[in-house]
Amino acid sequence: MPVGSTLVHPADIQPGGSRKAGPMPDALETSLTAAPVNGVGGSVESRPTAPHEAAESPVFRHSRIHRLADRWAHLAFLACSLLVVGLIGGILFFLASRGLAAFWPVAGNTGRALHLSEVFLSADWAPSSDRFGILPFIAGSLGVTGLALLIAAPAGILTGVFIAKMAPAWMRNLMRQVMDLLVGIPSVVYGIFGLTVVLPLVSRTWLADAPASGFAVSALILAVMIVPTIVSLSTDAFESLPSSLDEGAQALGSSRWQAIWHVLIPAARPRLLTAAVLGLGRAIGEAMAVQMVIGNNPQWIALMRESTDRAPFLRALFTPAATLTTELVQELPNTAAGSTWNNVLFAMGLLLYLLTMVLILATRRLGRGKEA
Amino acid sequence: MGVAPVFRRSRSSKLVDRLMRGVLWAIAILFVVVLIIFVGAILKQGWPVLNLGFFTKMPETLDAGGGIKPQIFNSIYLVILSLGLSLPVGLGAGVYMAEYAGKGRALNFLRLCIETLAATPSIVLALFGMIVFVQAMGWSFSIRSGALTLALLNIPVITRVTEVSLLAVPRELKEASYGLGATKLQTILKVALPYAATGILTGLVLTAGRAFGESAILVFTAGTNASAQFPDFRLTVPGETLSVHLWYVTSDGTLPDAREIAAGTAAVMILVLLSLNLLVRLVDRAIRRRTR
Repeated sequence: MPVGSTLVHPADIQPGGSRKAGPMPDALETSLTAAPVNGVGGSVESRPTAPHEAAESPVFRHSRIHRLADRWAHLAFLACSLLVVGLIGGILFFLASRGLAAFWPVAGNTGRALHLSEVFLSADWAPSSDRFGILPFIAGSLGVTGLALLIAAPAGILTGVFIAKMAPAWMRNLMRQVMDLLVGIPSVVYGIFGLTVVLPLVSRTWLADAPASGFAVSALILAVMIVPTIVSLSTDAFESLPSSLDEGAQALGSSRWQAIWHVLIPAARPRLLTAAVLGLGRAIGEAMAVQMVIGNNPQWIALMRESTDRAPFLRALFTPAATLTTELVQELPNTAAGSTWNNVLFAMGLLLYLLTMVLILATRRLGRGKEA
Repeated sequence: MGVAPVFRRSRSSKLVDRLMRGVLWAIAILFVVVLIIFVGAILKQGWPVLNLGFFTKMPETLDAGGGIKPQIFNSIYLVILSLGLSLPVGLGAGVYMAEYAGKGRALNFLRLCIETLAATPSIVLALFGMIVFVQAMGWSFSIRSGALTLALLNIPVITRVTEVSLLAVPRELKEASYGLGATKLQTILKVALPYAATGILTGLVLTAGRAFGESAILVFTAGTNASAQFPDFRLTVPGETLSVHLWYVTSDGTLPDAREIAAGTAAVMILVLLSLNLLVRLVDRAIRRRTR
């Protein structure tokens, strides 16, 4: 029986002998249409059939042991994945076990249990006087992150569209390398750069009294740190847009910038928002670089309100402050496990973790909006 | 019907176009300049400190003139240990996601978990490591606490890079393997993974770079002290790395030459990073030449 006659390639068909080219098209057509019908397309039979040797001596050995290994490997790979899932739950469990201990009288606590409102709704942070309002740190985190995003999101998105839709090839390569390097620089090196280069530089200007610690420099450093994330995600977003969008806009007479502003950026918006949210996540979780330049002053709200020597916006930008992460780095090593102070610090860590989860779920939402 | 262009091409729109092209170029060039200034400043500050003694001496605690020998060792040791711990898990999870999980809810959920772990701030991982390894297991600040917690940072990156590299393996290759009678495991081990190996390797080098620079995790799990012995392979001793040392001497302030030590350490870290980057690029180029 002819094997796989329906799959025969036209080139394989040799209409018998040394006939002239004349009848060839006919022969081709009949053999192709006839073959599937009766299964014995005359000219097809002469084609050598597929080699049977492969099935008889397999390249891969297929013993019982191999089949057993195959089954166990599936389980092993599954176990690795489940470990990752378990880690997500494990981190939540352990952080909650210590963080929530601040609010309930748990065995092992050496201090009193706090009320939720005196932690999350109070700006009064004086742990040695038993007052644990973490509002300054929440506000600090939001402030410095918001400011960083304000710089990094527009710059990153514009760089993304530049790389994807405008830059010549050499510039595209250069930008990729620059972003690769920026993302790889360790946060402590960003911190030391801020501390030894940016702070002295700003202190010498009219902007700030020395040292220029505070939101401005921290946000600037953070912005450079998160820009590679936003650039690479938004470059992907623009590159994945169908080229017909761009071409259509240009056919309708748009300039380069009009196409970018009126067509490409709106079309890529869900993914650009995702890029910004992931940049936000990176910024809010960054600890060491910010800790080295922000000045670490839990009482920053009071200081900002009281000092009257400078314009309000300069005070807001250059008052030494603190964030959730910097306060953890600053104080966690000095507190005893089980003390209320220690528990509240872990509650701040728990808050950061929950925030991460919310942000990731938000990117999911944004991603789903794109398909709809 | 007259020609009414959707986009107005007035003189002002041309001007805006030219202006915005300039702005985009300026922003891009600004980042190049920022990087050059950054690397230049760090290297310039650190260069005078980089002599043989800096690399071969033990650190001082109160006097000037200390070196960073044990910190270099600890950095390399911790990177290798954490990669060794996270590689099997990351590879396994990546293989599962690419080859077994199918396309349904399970894969979606796994992706969500990987993304969450990848986005988790390192300070949060540090708290987890502190609770579990440092306190609950009673390992205190040690190499093993540090390596295990650092592995948590690597796992999502390795998983992702494995998954992506495996998904890039042509389907025909896998089908040919099945056609030759291979089991799924044989196909993965002997066909798919070797094909994906270069991609995974590149990802591994980048992961190593990230682990090398990580500090928040290690401050709370491996500690801010280095062993007085050298080389000290014990897993139970504290293991201060270069990045932690850089942070610690800067914020602690007891060393008279803290500034110089920090500058030198930063320069060393930048040099390591640049060479890792170069390595990735060379590997990448070699691969491209081979496959072309």
